[in-house]
Amino acid sequence: MTSPRVPPPPAGSAPHRQRPPLRRGAHGRVVAGVCRGLADHLGLHPLALRVGFIALTAVGGVGALVYAFLWATVEPAEGAAPAGGDRSRWLRQPDTGSLLVLTGGLVILVGGLALVQAWGLDLRLDITVPVLVLTTGAVFVWSQLDTSGRDRLLAPHGGSRQQAMGRLVIGVGLAVAGLVALGAQGRSLGELRDVGVAVVITLAGVGLLAAPYVTRLWRDLREEQAATARETERADIAAHLHDSVLQTLALIQRRADDPVQVARLARAQERELRSWLYAGPVGPTATLAGAVAAAGHEVEDLHGVPIELIVTGDRPLDADGQALVNALREAMLNAVRHGAPPVSAYVEVGTGSVEAFVRDHGEGFDPEDVPADRLGVRESIMGRMQRHGGTARVRRLEQGTEVSLELPVSREPQGAES
Amino acid sequence: MSQPRPTGSQGTPAARPGGPIRLVLVDDHRMFRSGVRAELDEVSGNRLEIVGEAGTVDQAVVVIREQRPDVVLLDVHLPGGDGRGGSDVITGCAGVTTESGAPVRFLALSVSDAAEDVIAVIRAGARGYVTKTISGPELGGAIVRVADGDAVFSPRLAGFVLDAFGAAAGEIAEVDEELDRLSAREREVMRLIARGYQYKEVAKELFISVKTVETHVSSVLRKLQLSSRHELTVWAMGRRLL
Repeated sequence: MTSPRVPPPPAGSAPHRQRPPLRRGAHGRVVAGVCRGLADHLGLHPLALRVGFIALTAVGGVGALVYAFLWATVEPAEGAAPAGGDRSRWLRQPDTGSLLVLTGGLVILVGGLALVQAWGLDLRLDITVPVLVLTTGAVFVWSQLDTSGRDRLLAPHGGSRQQAMGRLVIGVGLAVAGLVALGAQGRSLGELRDVGVAVVITLAGVGLLAAPYVTRLWRDLREEQAATARETERADIAAHLHDSVLQTLALIQRRADDPVQVARLARAQERELRSWLYAGPVGPTATLAGAVAAAGHEVEDLHGVPIELIVTGDRPLDADGQALVNALREAMLNAVRHGAPPVSAYVEVGTGSVEAFVRDHGEGFDPEDVPADRLGVRESIMGRMQRHGGTARVRRLEQGTEVSLELPVSREPQGAES
Repeated sequence: MSQPRPTGSQGTPAARPGGPIRLVLVDDHRMFRSGVRAELDEVSGNRLEIVGEAGTVDQAVVVIREQRPDVVLLDVHLPGGDGRGGSDVITGCAGVTTESGAPVRFLALSVSDAAEDVIAVIRAGARGYVTKTISGPELGGAIVRVADGDAVFSPRLAGFVLDAFGAAAGEIAEVDEELDRLSAREREVMRLIARGYQYKEVAKELFISVKTVETHVSSVLRKLQLSSRHELTVWAMGRRLL
């Protein structure tokens, strides 16, 4: 147990005040630092606790007994005298041997008390024994809840689950035994009704006391689950970046002398990353917009020239739509092959027709001058559009060429654009 | 601010009457800031003066309030503030004006291209939006345009507008003033911008002046910022895909 002692933060600074672990105080102690440590842990004034212990000692020596017990079991804080450091370790990380030692110690304690009683010194055992047993039980539960290993109690694969369960059972058992002893001392069974009421009230009080710990336990568990989820997500992202981005960067470094190849790699990677970051789980080619995007990406990959592709609206992909996509792909290929960047493509899916435009900034060409054997424009673009009831037009602009395609579509109701 | 625009200003503006445009760069990537700085130095000559840089929302608000620049080049994604990135900077600098009394203008710059981000920063008050892949001369031209109080639309933003206002599906405003729809002319301008046309090419295509194109674009920007068309937000939220 070498966790550093957390200095108490200023009172009321945060809603969830970080409670320092229960340790015997190293500084400002009077006897063994029990009161000091308890005060730090509970956020009370040490003097109040000291007065309380002295007052309890006056009542049959209970205070002294509790003090001694805490002295024996509570870990000293960092920097405190190491004496007894080993002695109390068993309480937090028990094994079978230390449980035996504990049981033996309890037996010796009980025996000693009986001996002292027999000598005629009245220890008021009817009060001290129940209080002592109650304290023992409470400390067991306490240490269970307050160690950092308490999560293992609830974790299904926790290594020390059995130990923790054993400790919990012993603690609860002792506490109940103490209550029963306190309730039934020297009384007839007829008074058990009153005792029952007392027990119920006591349990209610204990429940009230335990509530903050239960909520804290619950909160810690939730926090841990959230942390695990975040960790998983981070690992996913890391794996993805490794598989895609890092590999591409390595490729780019190796091909640094080939600008076309570098641009192509960078563009393809950018697109891949973008679709991973922003795309939904929908299949990419089920709709016209998806098919257009796929065609655009393919052309970019083939020639390493970026295309600014804008699509508005969407509709299901049918045979006519596929023809438009093919013609558009051919137009984009022409633009990157014969034109000059920047190349833009705009596809507008309206209710009555689909319009597509591909524009480059090259020298431009006159459709009439294209040799008859060049199938690209004449057949793949114009012929294809005409066969599907659409039109295609090639315009020579002041700078560059624009191919526009238009395809009338039936006014069928389409789903919400998305 | 509506001083006459220099002629032939497409991308290569002539010297402005009021001295160089004072510019603040806001981006959380230092490498990107120095890249932009170098590129602008190269293309702008002495027409642009970078007077400040910032990497977080809070830094940006301080620098902008102190420098009172003409234009802020603003990254959409920034750490700090209330977690809304560039929009927080614009809100935090509300009411700040340059020395000549014109409002400080914001040009959004992003790699994101996600409709949600773009629409959010425009609605917060940015005068335009361009992608980070924009070339140096084009960026210089966009900065000048924003400094003159005009709007700058990238093809992508034009596509978003057409989609969000239902213009692609044929919804057209009956009267120009209607905030929830584009007028027929605005739709035409937006369509041409989405097709990759420069403003002067749009003007030529529609037989109108560049100034008229700018008026239409500014009017679309105003609608984008003021429209209560509920589809706008829903659309932007739902459209995670490019």
